[in-house]
Amino acid sequence: MSVTLLGQSILSGIFSGSLYALLGLGLTLSWRYLKIINLAHFAFIFLAAYLTYQLAGPGGLPPLLVIALVAPLFFVMGYAQQAFLEHFKVDEFASIIITFGMTILAETFIQWIWSADFVRLETHFLRGSWELGPFFLPKQEMLMSAAALALCLVTAAFLRFTWIGKALRAGLDNPQIAASFGVPNKKLSLLIAGIAGALAGVGGAFMALLFTLAPSQIYSWFGVVLAAVLLGRVGSATGVFAAGLLIGVSEAITMAVTAPAWAPLAPFTLLILILVFWPERV
Amino acid sequence: MNAPAVKSYRGLVAILAATLAFAALPLFQPSPFLESFLYLLFFWIALATSWTILSGFTGYVSFGHGAFYGAGVYATANLGAHAPLWVCLLAGGLIAAVLGGAVGFVVFRVRRLRGELFALLTLALAIVLATIILNTPIDGGPGVSLMGVRLPRIYANPSSTIYLLGALVAMGSLATAWLVQYSSFGRGLFAISDDEDVAEILGVPTLGFKVAALALSSFLAGVAGAVHALFVSYVTVGETFSITVPLFVLLMSVLGGARHWLGPAIGAIFVTTLTNALVGGDWALAARALIGVTLIVATLYLPEGVIGFLAHRFRARAKPALAAAPIVEPAPEVGPKRPIGDVLLQCDDVHLAFRGVRALNGVTLEVREGEILGLVGPNGSGKSTLINVISGFYRPDAGRLVFAGSDVTADAGHRRARRGIARTFQIPRPFNRLSVLDNVVVAGQFGARGLDHGAALAQAQEWLSFVGLDARAQALPKELNLHQRKFLELARALASGARLIMLDEVLAGLTPAEITTAIDMVRKIHASGATIIFVEHNMRAVLALTDRLVVLNQGQIIAQGDPRAVMQDPLVISAYLGDADAHP
Amino acid sequence: MASGNNLISQPSRRDLLAMALAAGASTTAMGQTSGPPVRVGGTLSLTGPLAATGAIHKIVGDLFVQEANKKQGMLGRPIEWVLLDDQSKPDLARTLYERLITVDKVDLLIGPYATANILSAMSVAQRYNKVLVHSTFGIPKLATYDRHFPGWPIGFSPEDTVSNMALDGILSTGKQVKTFAVVTSKFPSVQFLAVGARDVFKKRGLTENLYLEFEFGARDFGPIAARVREANPDILYMGAIGLEGNQLLEALEKINYTPKNHMYVYPSPGQLAQSPLGKDALSLTIYEDLPPFSDNPEAATFARLYREAATKAGFPFVDPETQAGAGYSSWQILTGAVNATKSLNDDVLTAHLKKNGAETIIGKVRFDGPQNYGDDLMRLKQVQDGKWAIVWPKQVATPGKTIIIK
Repeated sequence: MSVTLLGQSILSGIFSGSLYALLGLGLTLSWRYLKIINLAHFAFIFLAAYLTYQLAGPGGLPPLLVIALVAPLFFVMGYAQQAFLEHFKVDEFASIIITFGMTILAETFIQWIWSADFVRLETHFLRGSWELGPFFLPKQEMLMSAAALALCLVTAAFLRFTWIGKALRAGLDNPQIAASFGVPNKKLSLLIAGIAGALAGVGGAFMALLFTLAPSQIYSWFGVVLAAVLLGRVGSATGVFAAGLLIGVSEAITMAVTAPAWAPLAPFTLLILILVFWPERV
Repeated sequence: MNAPAVKSYRGLVAILAATLAFAALPLFQPSPFLESFLYLLFFWIALATSWTILSGFTGYVSFGHGAFYGAGVYATANLGAHAPLWVCLLAGGLIAAVLGGAVGFVVFRVRRLRGELFALLTLALAIVLATIILNTPIDGGPGVSLMGVRLPRIYANPSSTIYLLGALVAMGSLATAWLVQYSSFGRGLFAISDDEDVAEILGVPTLGFKVAALALSSFLAGVAGAVHALFVSYVTVGETFSITVPLFVLLMSVLGGARHWLGPAIGAIFVTTLTNALVGGDWALAARALIGVTLIVATLYLPEGVIGFLAHRFRARAKPALAAAPIVEPAPEVGPKRPIGDVLLQCDDVHLAFRGVRALNGVTLEVREGEILGLVGPNGSGKSTLINVISGFYRPDAGRLVFAGSDVTADAGHRRARRGIARTFQIPRPFNRLSVLDNVVVAGQFGARGLDHGAALAQAQEWLSFVGLDARAQALPKELNLHQRKFLELARALASGARLIMLDEVLAGLTPAEITTAIDMVRKIHASGATIIFVEHNMRAVLALTDRLVVLNQGQIIAQGDPRAVMQDPLVISAYLGDADAHP
Repeated sequence: MASGNNLISQPSRRDLLAMALAAGASTTAMGQTSGPPVRVGGTLSLTGPLAATGAIHKIVGDLFVQEANKKQGMLGRPIEWVLLDDQSKPDLARTLYERLITVDKVDLLIGPYATANILSAMSVAQRYNKVLVHSTFGIPKLATYDRHFPGWPIGFSPEDTVSNMALDGILSTGKQVKTFAVVTSKFPSVQFLAVGARDVFKKRGLTENLYLEFEFGARDFGPIAARVREANPDILYMGAIGLEGNQLLEALEKINYTPKNHMYVYPSPGQLAQSPLGKDALSLTIYEDLPPFSDNPEAATFARLYREAATKAGFPFVDPETQAGAGYSSWQILTGAVNATKSLNDDVLTAHLKKNGAETIIGKVRFDGPQNYGDDLMRLKQVQDGKWAIVWPKQVATPGKTIIIK
């Protein structure tokens, strides 16, 4: 096996890992700060992806403009979803079922509008690769990874350094006391939900750029993205990125050195070992 | 969801009757579609019920139920052509149980494993298992056909055999869940789900119980999988390990009510009937949307599941009249002091550090049978840590603990509880979803007395009247006020039959009037025969109650002896200077 | 969700109309027929992961029933298709076939598509000795029931015959094709054929540069692409279901590699033909809307109606091909046998079909070989000028088209 093959595979793993992180970022926020395990996050991602396909494919809009349109739209979606869930005071357990129900609705909606068949966004936007020595750096993946990294870092910094982030963490420990200090818990949770929605929108736009879409694929992302969220420690924006990379790269290396069908074994065995022997680090 | 106050076998009898009815059904030659549909119900009932024995009862949510179910599926797929059917089913169950038990044994040793990590772990387990099966001759990729498996013919129609197996597995799972729920095992699991640390300290062997629950749950899932392989007759990895299995199992259980043996079955019947009813070819999409809407609406309006909803209705009807505040007969002001006996607890040079901070630094202490030992010291002096070490919550870095003549240093919390050590918490930690009565029953069953259910129940009622909570026996702890919850803690400690009871700031947060009744209560407890370690900031109470006083500061004992003399000790005074809480 | 739906209400109305029309098609259109309908029961995966193909079969069935009822239907009676949605779940499929037979009491069965669901249906049909005509069943040796009739004639040993046929075509050009790579999804029927191709290629003297299996549903094709690039075979055989072929091609493009020659089994045909990367891609087919098939007037009508319906339903790719052809031939086999024997009796139909086979839009189908399989009617097709053309065997090749091998 050559160094080029290994290097190219690791690059590929970094790209898929970044995507796991990008898709998991909104999920990890709402799980920790809203106590909502939002399976509908995946539905939002796919709705955004299909919308991106529609606007940038048949619609002919430039993909970057589409991202700029889709993100605020899904901010509103996330906001509305949270308002709904809060109205009914949904707890963590129930949120799984309700958001799963929403996911089924979204899947149905997608199949109704776009049929169950595969759709693929054909675009010339950032097609091709840069070459770096023997390695190829595909432009679309580079942009996606950069966006994932940037969003994870900005989110982490936002939570850590801004007043809003501190208020959020205070509200988590003790909502009543935080409220008595003037923390607007309700507004903050709607804000977080909106941000999570917008992140789903951005993730979906990249999904459309990089992947073929089919409505039932919504469910195929559950496992790996949930794993990244949990491994990265729920609520941690940098953690989900690191965990995503760990999963993506270990998968890619397995695919390069053995039969690709063994790919899931490496990251998930690694994950089990980490959980068993090093649980406090997760 | 509480266990009924009086054990009733109605549930079990109903399950038995249903089993007989289902088993006899093929004699009447029903439409095979009915059998086939009922089989699907049975399959999901078995899976959802097995899931709830672990996840519903203990609160550890498994996303990996597909792994245990899949182990069973592939057991039949591989053995079906070579071994008799019962071997396949047993093998499916055992393989799954061994897998589950092994996983449980490894992961539950992790101290206070966070629930979400357990979920992740089980998810990962399912993926790893699927990958292994996909890439080895267990499947290898092309799927396994079971067309060649010969089924024993029990009724006229051979496919009735599968129906019958499904019925037996489902009813067996329900009966298992029923037995678990109303056994001390189940009570222990519920206690774990509410507060694992407290459960351990009250004597519940939490590690063993969790592993056992996981193994039992996996076994049932494995058997269900082993039968289901026969039903689908062609198994593939993609289908077997798809995320829909664990997801639907969770949906069904939560929808029906995950803390009750019957809840998952109700959820399973609801969801399966719904998906089977909506199969019309022309409105497939609309039907699927309707499933989504139903899940949402049902969850919104039944937040605690169908069973929870029914229980609320029932409780609302049976609501007792407003309970009176506890009245405690005032004990004599100066009770006859009981004779002080032999050494009951010996702490020998106990050390404990957290990340370099020395919480306990060579504590040597004797507690004598029958005394009330006061334990005081400024905040952060190590009082709570010492109690945690004695109760077994922390293991000391060095030193020895001898209780009633036995070395208990290496014993887990539940073993110490069995030996007769009990404690209360400064901020009460009742099992929030168990009734007041059941909280006390748990202590009676798992504590030093180790009573059977009936005796524990009877005694629990007595202890509740002893602390004046008998009128609130069926209430949930959250319906009690702080004073009452503190007394509930006392009742639990008493019910355990402990020889040594450690009272951690029972008076904190009480009104002066309540303090008076609480002091009387401590006297009564002492009079009933227990040795007491009394941790308190309220010096008036300490002086009134204790025979002997120990003062801790910075993890060391700085003085001990007669309470009044100790309080004059200059070292003690200087330790307390600036500590605003301590007003002698 | 509520807020999301009305944001995109514009296209939904169009589809509402399309759905109403499609739904109407199955219940209306009773033409020259009279008497109580002949009820034909079956399931399709209309929702869930297999729904893309399910939608094709739904249109095909609706069209067939509509057209047949304009003529003589079955026995002069109208055909009523009792269609249920098995939600892509084999266990549900089994229960639904029980229901069709014992509750809905249908006269005849028409099978689903896809190996697992057909097997579920077959085990039920077997218990009632019902004839089961089905479409795309990928692993013939698993079909042991003696009254099943495949509408997708791929012979009893496609792993052998199909692979040889394809290699015949590839080698017919005389070009130097000495090495091969097999990359396959572990989707059962796909992997089954890929393993066969590997054996055949080796047996016939080609050198294997690479053999890879990947998990069905794999997301990341980067490392696989890097390994294909390194192996650089003369022909790349890809066992691909759905869009996996396109995904590999895109991953290859990103590392500036174009396979010399490439073949896909069983890709989503439209997407591969439409992609610029699909140039010269080979695949298998049993039916295309091309001569000689389209010389048959019934096939031509079917193809025209299919395109209209598929367009209405919003399919991204509207040409009928293997799935549509196999679906249609299943209906033809069943209806033909009924009308030839004037019987709905399963014994009679079985005897007739075994003896006489059936005439369909994909040609003469026979059931006289092992386990009711007959000739292997698979052909090799290739993307040429952005469209599929049948290129092998020569006698059925699209006029003017020959296989392109580099």
